[in-house]
Amino acid sequence: MSSVERPIGSTDREVETELFKRLPDDAEAREQLVRMFLPLAEYLARRFDRRGEPLEDLVQVASVGLLNAIDRFDVERDVQFSTYAAVTIIGELKRHFRDKGWAIRVPRRLQEVGLRVNAVLPELSQELGRSPTVEEIAARCGDSPEDILGAMEAVQAYSTTSLDSPVGEEGAAPIDVLGGDDPSLEILDGWASVAPAVKELPERERRVLYLRFFRGLTQSEIAKEVGVSQMHVSRILSQTLSFLRGAVLEEGDPLREAEPHGADLDET
Amino acid sequence: MASQTNEIITVSVPPEAGYVHVLRAVTASVAARLPIPYDAIEDLRLAVDEACAWLLARGRSASGMTLLLRPLDDRLEAEVSIDAADGPWPPPDLQQSLPWKILSALVDTISVDTERGRPSIRLTKRTLEPSRTT
Repeated sequence: MSSVERPIGSTDREVETELFKRLPDDAEAREQLVRMFLPLAEYLARRFDRRGEPLEDLVQVASVGLLNAIDRFDVERDVQFSTYAAVTIIGELKRHFRDKGWAIRVPRRLQEVGLRVNAVLPELSQELGRSPTVEEIAARCGDSPEDILGAMEAVQAYSTTSLDSPVGEEGAAPIDVLGGDDPSLEILDGWASVAPAVKELPERERRVLYLRFFRGLTQSEIAKEVGVSQMHVSRILSQTLSFLRGAVLEEGDPLREAEPHGADLDET
Repeated sequence: MASQTNEIITVSVPPEAGYVHVLRAVTASVAARLPIPYDAIEDLRLAVDEACAWLLARGRSASGMTLLLRPLDDRLEAEVSIDAADGPWPPPDLQQSLPWKILSALVDTISVDTERGRPSIRLTKRTLEPSRTT
């Protein structure tokens, strides 16, 4: 798309400068710049991946950073835009993590409880032939029911990468487990209003939604079928539902509104 | 329908999305004391989320949101209400609406009502086996 990964050559730089000179009034020039540098935003977002934030969110944050960089860049300054943009985007990503700091720092002890819960859930479910109660989980883990609840809540509020790791041997990447049925949720009664949003969902999220709301599987069954922990299924569901709610209310969330090039994000 | 315990847990918060997690956490915490499986607690949590969001979307002029939990012998009842609604409640297209569809997949029963001007959503989730009251 553009040459952001290698040093930007003089031709690109000329194009770049040309485009910046047409700002701020020329919307098309702005859009072209966004398109040129979106791969940079995505690349930087990926560097912050695996810290508990969904990549899509990070890409959005990075895109906001890119837009800010474009608006603030001064061509007269002796600095390449890519350098300036990278600094701005990284700043935006860091700020995002700092703002969410309360959530990222899930106490280590609760993380450990979470790991134990993840480990005992499948075995207890199998032994009992149903999903275990919190008390049963607590007894098996040797933790208090309060700690089990705390871990459930912490995982909801925040994912920690370790808890997200695929369960089971080899850790088959979830995508490998995705099955053949084509969940066309949008044709189903009641869901038509969110059809466009459903289409925007990553395949795994769509599938979890489909399994829970149309096939009526329980969260533990979905966990087994999709190849992630049950805590993760629960988090996927909660995030997906809140995403869909945002899509129904016209207001949406501020980040999505601040990001006028959403369609481009999906193409790269 | 007669309750055999008189325990009622009530929590009131400002009608803002940021407070929904409080209601969710309290629901989970109360549910965990009952013989309710983990799966069902997670479902309840999602349901409380959904119910709150549904009411909040209709209650921009509200000044309070309340969760009322009633642990019964065979089920847990969770009722979310707000103190004002901007439009008609229950909404006209009730059973066709997405929140209704989502809620009906998550809990055993739903009832939507307006009592003394307070729009409410009452959800119930069955416990594993009848519990003995102490």
